[in-house]
Amino acid sequence: MEGLTALALAIALLGVGLWTLIVRRNLIWKLLGLNVASNGAILFLVALAHRPAARPPITGLGPGPSADPLPHALVLTAIVIDFATLALALVFVIVLTERRHTQDVRRLERDEEHGWPER
Amino acid sequence: MKPLAALTVLGLLVLLGLGASGLLPRPELPLPEHVAAAWGARNLVATIVLGVRLWDTLFEILIYAMTIVGVKLGLRPVRWEGAGPPVAETPLLRRAADLLLGPVVVFALYVATSGHLGPGGGFPAGALLGTGLLLALAKGVERLSAEVYEPTLEWVKYGAIVAILALTGVVLVLGRKGSPYLIAANLLMTVEVAIGAWVILHRFAKSRGEL
Amino acid sequence: MVVALLAALTLALAVFALTGRRLLWGVIGVGVHALALAGVYLFLAAPDVALTQAAVGFGLVTFIYLLAVRRTGKLTVAAVETPHLLYQENERVTGLEWEILSRFGEQLHRDVEVMWVPRAEIPALLRVGDAEIGAGALFPREGETLLLSRPVLPTRIVTVRCGPGPVGAVAGDQGQDFLPPGGILYEDHTALAHALRRGEVGAAVADLLHVREWGLSGEVSVLDTKDEEETAFRFALSPAEAGLQGALDAFLDELARSGELDKLVRRHVG
Repeated sequence: MEGLTALALAIALLGVGLWTLIVRRNLIWKLLGLNVASNGAILFLVALAHRPAARPPITGLGPGPSADPLPHALVLTAIVIDFATLALALVFVIVLTERRHTQDVRRLERDEEHGWPER
Repeated sequence: MKPLAALTVLGLLVLLGLGASGLLPRPELPLPEHVAAAWGARNLVATIVLGVRLWDTLFEILIYAMTIVGVKLGLRPVRWEGAGPPVAETPLLRRAADLLLGPVVVFALYVATSGHLGPGGGFPAGALLGTGLLLALAKGVERLSAEVYEPTLEWVKYGAIVAILALTGVVLVLGRKGSPYLIAANLLMTVEVAIGAWVILHRFAKSRGEL
Repeated sequence: MVVALLAALTLALAVFALTGRRLLWGVIGVGVHALALAGVYLFLAAPDVALTQAAVGFGLVTFIYLLAVRRTGKLTVAAVETPHLLYQENERVTGLEWEILSRFGEQLHRDVEVMWVPRAEIPALLRVGDAEIGAGALFPREGETLLLSRPVLPTRIVTVRCGPGPVGAVAGDQGQDFLPPGGILYEDHTALAHALRRGEVGAAVADLLHVREWGLSGEVSVLDTKDEEETAFRFALSPAEAGLQGALDAFLDELARSGELDKLVRRHVG
């Protein structure tokens, strides 16, 4: 039950996040969408590790099956790396805004088409 | 544009559903309980992160260190002229920061050192410590910059990476196993992640912010 | 059962955050969404992941966003590019309205930050408070409830016809109000000028400043019949910023009284 609910939630989060990532034109909003989408991907892996009536992957907690610890271990590093790459992406947006005075991707694309002005 | 976006999202979701349905086979793995017993640990996740997949973890930490180099190169610090500090300084905030900083550090150390027995480990402890250090921003960026000498922190961070590498050598080459290695690796990872988070937050606070 | 509730809360927070218009609420919504997600991980028998997600997703990510989007000490101007008035030159913004705004910012001790946005989005940005001043366009369009400053530069709405074909205008611009049925809307004046040169449209409704800059050899007819004081470039402000509007009007009055405004207009527009 928990596993199915979590899978549905993961897929919904991924959908909402990717939708924002594609449709919104502002780079900061795009990054927010990317953050939600990556949360969905992480939840997806954790939901796959879940088994019905599973206990946490710690020995000595009693009988019964435990959740698969391998996806948990992979996801643990992914969460921290997500934060670091998000910080880097925000830095790029800040530098871009300083130089081009916009966060609108269509305007940035058009600027590029017409050639970026000389420094 | 929008129909195309809907189609792309839908296609990705169908792929995910296929993966979740269990149609794809999963590889056989050694029982994690046996691995944990050999390491003298009870938390299977910590055993995998620090024992079985230590190289993996090490290189992810290296990615983390690289992104911090990127943040440092990209953000230029701004001198504050006329504008206030990024976090308004109030007596309440300063007192709360003084009161909370100690417990947060102690809790982070607890999470790090008990990570091989229960929930915890280097990554959450480092993130907790990094967030806790953010409380110190309430003192104001300028004063903080005077107190915390960033290059020293940087050297500690690279030192932690080298120490993790040495530990990896001991574990992988000499085949040593046991809970002391797990505790040491967890503490080193805490230092690494916390300093990284601190450097990123400090840089963002010192720059002007955008939009 | 609790899991289903938590999952619904997580999804609702994500949808609320991402479909909203105001950036600050979006950031906070995503932060709380990460905290609820940590609760879901607890029910999936993943306490390690839950602890990390709570510390990173709710703590670090939210703080870094708040630090990145904070606007303390800044005067954010949502603007569209207009020749002579407000335009980008290399990495700098310049023009008549820029001179006025940067002087106004100096008086308020705030850094002026110009952001190019589509014309149609300016009212929403002003309303939610993601920008303080709208500039570079003819405000307001019919139906827009914005506070306006005193006029900076009078102009006229004209239609310029270069050949046969439908009429084009810029979406959200005052010219849209004069667009006959069957007309085509473009995102900004650059796109409209391109369409006119390519022959996609035979005529365009725009203000005199843009039409003069395009340098077209066509027949120009004045559309609006209101007196000249009515149709003018002004700054727009959110209805909640009455204080800022007062300060800006006082500043503009002072500029006009000392003759500085005329000097600036002559230098930038000629």
